[in-house]
Amino acid sequence: MMRLRVPLVMLTSVFAGQLKALPTMIRLGYVNCAACHVAPQGGGLLNAYGRSIDEAQSLRGGEYAPTTSDIIRALSWNGRITQDLRFVGQEQLSSTTNSPWVGLFRGRFLYRNATEFGSGVRFSATVVGENESAARPSLAYEPAVRPTQVYVTSALLSWRVHNNLEFSAGRDALPNGVNLPDLAIYVRSRNRLGYYDAPTQVKMFWWGKRYHVSPYFFAPGGNERSGFHETGGGGLAEFDVLGHGRTVVGVNALHGTSRLLDRTMVGPYARLGFGKWGIFAEHDITARTLLQTATSFGQDASYGQVFWAVKEWLVPAVAGERLTVERPYRESLLAVGAQVTARLTPQFTVSMGARIQHNQLTGRTSPAFTLQLAMKTPN
Amino acid sequence: MNQSFAIIVCFAAASYGAANSGTAAAVEGGAASFVVNTTVPGISVKGKSTALEARAVVERVPDGLRLEKVEASIPVKSLDTGMAMRDEHMRRYIFTTADGKTPDLRFEAAEAACAAHSGRGSEFSCQVSGSLAIRGVSRPFSIPLKIRAQGGTYRATGGSTVKLSDYGIEQPSQFGVRTADEVQVHIEFSGKEGVAKIASGGRR
Repeated sequence: MMRLRVPLVMLTSVFAGQLKALPTMIRLGYVNCAACHVAPQGGGLLNAYGRSIDEAQSLRGGEYAPTTSDIIRALSWNGRITQDLRFVGQEQLSSTTNSPWVGLFRGRFLYRNATEFGSGVRFSATVVGENESAARPSLAYEPAVRPTQVYVTSALLSWRVHNNLEFSAGRDALPNGVNLPDLAIYVRSRNRLGYYDAPTQVKMFWWGKRYHVSPYFFAPGGNERSGFHETGGGGLAEFDVLGHGRTVVGVNALHGTSRLLDRTMVGPYARLGFGKWGIFAEHDITARTLLQTATSFGQDASYGQVFWAVKEWLVPAVAGERLTVERPYRESLLAVGAQVTARLTPQFTVSMGARIQHNQLTGRTSPAFTLQLAMKTPN
Repeated sequence: MNQSFAIIVCFAAASYGAANSGTAAAVEGGAASFVVNTTVPGISVKGKSTALEARAVVERVPDGLRLEKVEASIPVKSLDTGMAMRDEHMRRYIFTTADGKTPDLRFEAAEAACAAHSGRGSEFSCQVSGSLAIRGVSRPFSIPLKIRAQGGTYRATGGSTVKLSDYGIEQPSQFGVRTADEVQVHIEFSGKEGVAKIASGGRR
């Protein structure tokens, strides 16, 4: 059997992702991301309405007022350019059974830009520089993409045909279920949804009061390992079951094929909001076939989270995860975690988290603690 | 332009109870909620109050119930949308009068006849028509109620629509997200026989 090559840092990473999408807004009846984010997929830059919500939901609170500075207006092409600089610093302390604790500081700078050209046409991009890479686990059957210290995680040309219909082409993360920003969770890290997974793609977003549909087609992003340049297609569809904006269930499904590996994934998920608290759940079933040896095996990845908005700006959460991979790459992992996120101002967010992963095959337990500070320039 | 966002609220309530002849009854636990859509697909604003107060005189008649002197109110400050800033906008742009006051929402109806459902003597339906005051401005308002009797306790639910424009209230908007003119309201409450005093529907 081939040995798994899983770096310790990824086994124990808690918040490998940047703080971006906030699916917790389901608690207040925000069924999709398009209301607050420039991109309907969520994450990244906020539109003016989103910035006002961002301000209102911070500890500082208050009214959001767009800048009146002539210089800023000139730099923003009279409001056509939305941009910011963002820094995410993360200190992580992790260990595993019979191993010493290891500290790691990861700093990441991001420049994010969305430029409107009129008639609904927009170009958006995110350029990232970092001191320490955070690739998803490199598995024998599916190695991680090659990280670089300067990286374009997103570069999209988009056309907003209507206020609820958009087409995008370029490179970006693929649409995914619950859409949590934590890239280390199994449902993301074991389904090619790591930080550097930015395949070339064409996708559509069509959303309404109770639905959201996103078909997509993808091709290699260019940084995949040899033999794993994946091409395929998929679709995400979700529906607000009760019609109150707080009971979204959906499914994301895709099929991808590369020279060495075929992959089919089906992932039902749910986002439920109950005012001050809510639940996320996702269960992804993945079938893989190694084409050279005709070896097929399955993977189940489950995720559940309960969050509670103690204050609008203070949101603790607890989460549980499970990963099962069939022979010949057998794995059985359990993880539990807790985190608390404090949005002090729209520009400063602090998060603390703890996560414990237990390998049921080896008996090893890997705890990790993380402190993260995210800052961004106002816009 | 720093436009305001807010929500609307409105509700109406009628108290209910049942007695042999014109017993005063009051709400013991009541809540009013509202939903208003916006111009952006996928955003609707929801709010709730559990501070509904109401009373009425209830009389059992051969074909159902008769409600008289229905009075209900909700303090504006009890309305909660889950976002403090949004609540502030709601109070400021929907419920504050020109002289800076925020009077309670008030519903009054002189009478209503609630018919018993055929074959179900413990269930009644009626259309309660009266006036609803927002910002101290009264307009005609009607809400259908469904009432179910269980022992000495009665549960009632109802839903209706309020148009902001009827009250001369401009639809609030915030950075391009504008609420609709029509606000869907829903009420749920329970009453008890023989409760002669006004009771609070919940914390304020």
